[in-house]
Amino acid sequence: MIETIENAIQLTVTGLCSASALYYAVRSKERAWILLGLFAGVFFLGDLYWQLFLIFYDKTPPVFYISEFSWYTSYLFLLLLLIYINVENTEDWKFRLRPKYLCIPVFTVGMCIFYMHWGDYVGNIIVATLMTGLIWHAVYGLQTVRGQGDKGKNRRMLYIVTLVFCAAEYGIWTSSCFWMGDTIMNIYFWFDFLLSITFMLFLPALRKAVSR
Amino acid sequence: MNYIENIYICLAAPLLIAVLCMRGRGKAMNMFVLAGMTVCLLSSYINTFIAAVWGVGELTASVEIAPMTEEIMKFLPILFYLLVFEPGKEELTGGIIMTAVGFATFENACYLASNGANEVLHLLIRGFGTGAMHVVCGFLIAVGFLYLWDRTWLRLAGTIGLIAIAITYHGIYNILVSQTGTAAMIGYLIPLLTVVVVLLLRGKPRRTDFDSPDNR
Repeated sequence: MIETIENAIQLTVTGLCSASALYYAVRSKERAWILLGLFAGVFFLGDLYWQLFLIFYDKTPPVFYISEFSWYTSYLFLLLLLIYINVENTEDWKFRLRPKYLCIPVFTVGMCIFYMHWGDYVGNIIVATLMTGLIWHAVYGLQTVRGQGDKGKNRRMLYIVTLVFCAAEYGIWTSSCFWMGDTIMNIYFWFDFLLSITFMLFLPALRKAVSR
Repeated sequence: MNYIENIYICLAAPLLIAVLCMRGRGKAMNMFVLAGMTVCLLSSYINTFIAAVWGVGELTASVEIAPMTEEIMKFLPILFYLLVFEPGKEELTGGIIMTAVGFATFENACYLASNGANEVLHLLIRGFGTGAMHVVCGFLIAVGFLYLWDRTWLRLAGTIGLIAIAITYHGIYNILVSQTGTAAMIGYLIPLLTVVVVLLLRGKPRRTDFDSPDNR
């Protein structure tokens, strides 16, 4: 029951976020809004497919997870959004491998190996790659905004929300490895609810980031 | 038994003659319809093969395997056209949509052969629903490819993303239309409503509009 309620909330939130972002995209002609709309929209479609499969077949998809493919794609669109924002706002932007950032792939690869005990190898490798990119760009963005004054401060919230999104995803995946039942006391649902909230936070964060 | 190869020959033969006789844009459009029918036939083989390898039934193959193979296969003729002929925007948009039309036409013809043609109302709804769904999926990729992504890295990743959206949209459609009653009707109506929304918005988003200096 709680899972159905949580899924319904997430469907509503992602749907609203996607529709709002696409509305802003048409109004402002900013590509960043298109990317946010696609990020939320494809997440919404993945959730919808999952929920419809559960309703009509009373089980999760047994062969190929179209929903998971959608969720991976949503991470890809969020990554494109961060790269786009970073490239647009940083002069002579280029990939720099700093030693202190190596703790990011160490964390994501470590978690990937941990999740491989439960999930498939390919899916976990894709997720680890995308999450490494997301966390790296968010941390890199937070570093670069320091010396950019007010202009930089406007983008800070976007990077923080992205990091909260990644933390919520890792919380969901880790808690699902130790399933505590379909109850409100299950920490999985708390992280899932946090994930839903972050979708709504992306709207003001991006609005601030693209304001000129 | 449903002889889809025979249906394919009957539908493809006149188109092939038209392709040989015509020139210019008409010839190209006929070729795309033919390509759409061909990839539909090939998708059917691939779906059957994957379903046999994984040991799943027709229903599971329809809602889990078919969306993936069909959307990827539908994109292949366009990718070939794009890489070999380097067409303009108009030609490419037309090509993507005509491939989707060819695909939907062949799928509907196969449906008629296996389910009969005596329920005109159902066929009317299904015909428009399936046609609209394939065109919407093709249109989605076309719009993204032509108008949204102006940099190579963005175009590559963005197109993969939009194919994934098309796959999920197709999967949701297949889940709904595999049901009966209201659920199936909603499934058929979703692509039709999407087409209406697209037609209402048509002409508004242009590549030059997005992030052009005038809008900053």
